[in-house]
Amino acid sequence: MSSPPVTGPAAVPRHRGGPGPTRFRPRRTPPPGAVRVRRRGVLSHWRQYLAISPFYLVFLAFSFFPVLYSLYLAFQRWDGIGDMHFVGLQEFRFLWKDPVFWLSIRNTLVIWVLSTVPTLVGALVLATLLHSVRRFKGFYRIALYVPNVTSIVAVAIFFGAVFSNNFGLVNAILGTVGISPVPWLSNPWLIKLVIALLMTWMWTGYNMIIYLAGLQTIPKEIYEAAKLDGAGPVRTFLQITMPIMRPIILFTVIISTINGLQSFSEPQILFASEAANPSLGGPGQAGLTTLLYFYQSAFVNNDYGYGAAIVWAFFVLIIVLVLINWRIVQRGRKT
Amino acid sequence: MTAAGTTPGQVGTRRSRRPRGLSAHVFLILAVLISVFPFVWTIIMATNTTQDIYKSPPKLTFGSHLLENIRHMLKTIDFFGSMLNTIVVASVTTLLVLFVDSLAAFAFAKFDFPGRRVLFAALLGFMMLPLQLGILPQFILVSKIGWVGTLSALVPPSLANAFGIFWLRQYIQSGVPDELLDAARIDGAGFFRQYWNITLPMIKPGLSFLAIYAFVNAWNDYIWPLVVLTKPGHVTLQVALAQLNVAHNTDYSMVMAGVLMASVPMLVVFSIFARGFIAGATEGAVQGS
Amino acid sequence: MDLSRRRFLQAAALTAAAAGATAACGGSSGSSGSKDDKDLTLWYWGGALSDKVVAEAKTHFSGQVKLTTNSIGGDFKQKLTTTLAAGAAVPDITGIKGEDIASFLPNGSRFLDLNDLGFKKLSSQYLDWKTKLAQTTDGKQIGFPIDIGPTALYYRADLFDKAGLPSDPAKVAAETKTWDDYYALGAELKKALPGTYLINNLGSVFNIAVGQGTKRFIDENNHFIGDQDHIRAAWDLSVRPYQLGLDGKINDNTHNAALSKGTLTTELGAAWHALDIEQAAPNTKGKWHVSPNPGGPANQGGSYLALPKQCRNPEEAFKIISWILNPANDARGFTDAAIFPACPAAYAMPAMTGPDAFFGGQKIIEVFGPAAEAIPASYEAPADAAVMAPYLTELTNIEAKGKKPDDAWKDAVSQAKQIGQRQGVS
Repeated sequence: MSSPPVTGPAAVPRHRGGPGPTRFRPRRTPPPGAVRVRRRGVLSHWRQYLAISPFYLVFLAFSFFPVLYSLYLAFQRWDGIGDMHFVGLQEFRFLWKDPVFWLSIRNTLVIWVLSTVPTLVGALVLATLLHSVRRFKGFYRIALYVPNVTSIVAVAIFFGAVFSNNFGLVNAILGTVGISPVPWLSNPWLIKLVIALLMTWMWTGYNMIIYLAGLQTIPKEIYEAAKLDGAGPVRTFLQITMPIMRPIILFTVIISTINGLQSFSEPQILFASEAANPSLGGPGQAGLTTLLYFYQSAFVNNDYGYGAAIVWAFFVLIIVLVLINWRIVQRGRKT
Repeated sequence: MTAAGTTPGQVGTRRSRRPRGLSAHVFLILAVLISVFPFVWTIIMATNTTQDIYKSPPKLTFGSHLLENIRHMLKTIDFFGSMLNTIVVASVTTLLVLFVDSLAAFAFAKFDFPGRRVLFAALLGFMMLPLQLGILPQFILVSKIGWVGTLSALVPPSLANAFGIFWLRQYIQSGVPDELLDAARIDGAGFFRQYWNITLPMIKPGLSFLAIYAFVNAWNDYIWPLVVLTKPGHVTLQVALAQLNVAHNTDYSMVMAGVLMASVPMLVVFSIFARGFIAGATEGAVQGS
Repeated sequence: MDLSRRRFLQAAALTAAAAGATAACGGSSGSSGSKDDKDLTLWYWGGALSDKVVAEAKTHFSGQVKLTTNSIGGDFKQKLTTTLAAGAAVPDITGIKGEDIASFLPNGSRFLDLNDLGFKKLSSQYLDWKTKLAQTTDGKQIGFPIDIGPTALYYRADLFDKAGLPSDPAKVAAETKTWDDYYALGAELKKALPGTYLINNLGSVFNIAVGQGTKRFIDENNHFIGDQDHIRAAWDLSVRPYQLGLDGKINDNTHNAALSKGTLTTELGAAWHALDIEQAAPNTKGKWHVSPNPGGPANQGGSYLALPKQCRNPEEAFKIISWILNPANDARGFTDAAIFPACPAAYAMPAMTGPDAFFGGQKIIEVFGPAAEAIPASYEAPADAAVMAPYLTELTNIEAKGKKPDDAWKDAVSQAKQIGQRQGVS
């Protein structure tokens, strides 16, 4: 209770009571300030406020205000250039009845699951392996992190070429073993799979590094004690590593949820060459994520009010998902 | 089973019995191949002609058309101009992020002040805001300031980097002993000196991680530059690349030459700083505690 | 002691200076709004104008103004809209794509009325229906027509020969007078050349089929008419190749590869599509020919030049665009970039009447010229493109998921209605 929990929970209001998860650096002393400084009025802390103010000022101006203003936009009809018309909840009523919006939500969720699960599981496995080896450790870490420093644009162009139905490498390889071309970029499920693969490729190394950081903070004495008790590697992993790593895992899950649900550039670039059809997201709109639909509504169709409504409805959804996520991880911790 | 890694005694100690070391290496090398393969294949595509790529099966070896493709690409987009833009933006953003975030993180990590907890919780909440939510009003705002079409428009939105504060606060909490700050205080060091002279030098690995993180993000940013850099020909590398892809998707090998050329600088920067970067991400915390 | 604070301040000043530097360097480049009417900027996209003509315009007017041109890739409309909305860094002259012009008409006040600048005197030289599409309801002319997109049938003469079918343009024209004839021909091609397709996707047929009519999705009174017979007929026509197995179902980046490999025996497209084919499949040079569009011509695309309200020197700007688009220069656009002029006077000029090597020496003006003058005029509402999108999407759903055409039609209509409603269509 004395210090704010390190990871996600603090982000979630309404949960101040109860034990927060243990911080993932177990041996840290609590922040000293709580003891040192008794409330002597706000003014005496001007240095601290000054220190944090640049972030909050920039944030207020360039993120918070725009976000609030977009809420205002969600109640208008606006083509981006002309006059705004207040339309009340009409945009949200349209949203409720708009099958494309729900399709985009489904797409986003499917892509998110298809990418997050393999990314995080793969990252945990790789981190554990990497933690266990002694030689070439530095090389592995760098080589496995490299996908994350390439740009989404470059990677999306690349994936588009490799998974191309007609001239892609993947189909060429399948062809040599007698498998007829797979319609990677036109079948609705395969489209999602390709997008998810792309994201998995980019983000596994990143999460691996974060997990590795966590693994390295676990004191080896704990493992030695467990070994003396006769615990095998699997049991050690499940009963020692996992509980200690839980806050970190929670952190990565939340970050991946936010990132994964915001997928936009991947399908946008992957299907950019389809000029005849102003609908984005590829054949059957199978790669149309919610943010892409927002982009299409606002910037392609000039329906800015509707775009704002889409993105706000979607934001509420993210919040709900993060809450659920967090609940699940929390419950797991208590048992 | 892959949980081999949890066998005791590996945190940088000399102890070593690696019973399953070999299978771990095999697995890791496989993973490395997957993560490196796209770069190799990009080079192959960039060194061949489009007709070679369209062939079935496509050509699997390096070709000799790289220079020709690059020349063609350079004629089509202002590659170096947009790269210079990107370097300027990414560098300025990174410097500012490092400064703003480390200062705030220091205050959050080592001091108590009224509202600290609420402010920090709010900050974590900010991490969850999809930035696209505000992209329209952001655009209006930037246009009111008169920055539309200029590089300045790219800096402020990525300055509000809540992750950086969150990350560095962790780092300072675990990496900078209170005793040291207390001692400095007794010597008469004020808040900013404790920050500048004691904390900053001690969190260099953490800063280098954040620096790369911020630089890579700024380098790879796509949607905001796409929207805000209205002045054509005055864009960042990613936007130029995407435009190359849309406008000239008929010439795949040229597009791939662009992809290659755009990825190389990032790879070079990364490999130079990789050691410190990875150390910052994984070891600094341990070393400090 | 003090040293540290000074160093801190130094660092702060440094970073601030760095930020200022970017601001300054950015500011200098986005210098619109200055009173300098000697500088004019022109925005267009690759292939919208002849680059050669644009380059000549620069030297031709160098005495009066300095013309800076920018060829934009990516989403041109989005760029223009956001710039206009922001009112900053607005170009003095801009291109507007044919499919986008309708959506800019409600905001006609953001553009100058070209009639005030002298377009009235020139307008008779340009195709009337094309000019009208860039007029606001109160008669303001915001767009100066660059080109039009009369459609025709591109076909692979060599593959026709191989299939034992007549490949001479005149004979092919006779064999493909109606859509039924065309599909019948497709069936024969498919029989003779397994693995080839008549069309690349259903959307391309739908686009043209709608354009062959005189009504589109929204009428002049802003009523939705996308559920009526004329659209349904176009829809049924588009679905038939799918049912007949003549559809290549190409909805991704493989269109170019298909052209280059010869999987597609024909292409339906506007005149400017010739350039796409040439770029996608340089290896097929000489193998293509052109004949009239089955069922009559339609228009696809074809752009305009417009002067945003912020234009710093309207008189000079208008002089420049009327020079770039005068019949002689417009005709050159055809040779350089397959831009089909919107002024019939150009059609007789040598630049357009020559044989085209890519099309086996065929004089393709003989197909496109008559097509251009036979294009049916129709009203295009501002929301037209947005309302049309679901039909195209549902057609790809048929292709990608095997969705039942009737279900797809129902979904397309209901979505189109909704999109229309959102944009004020009743």
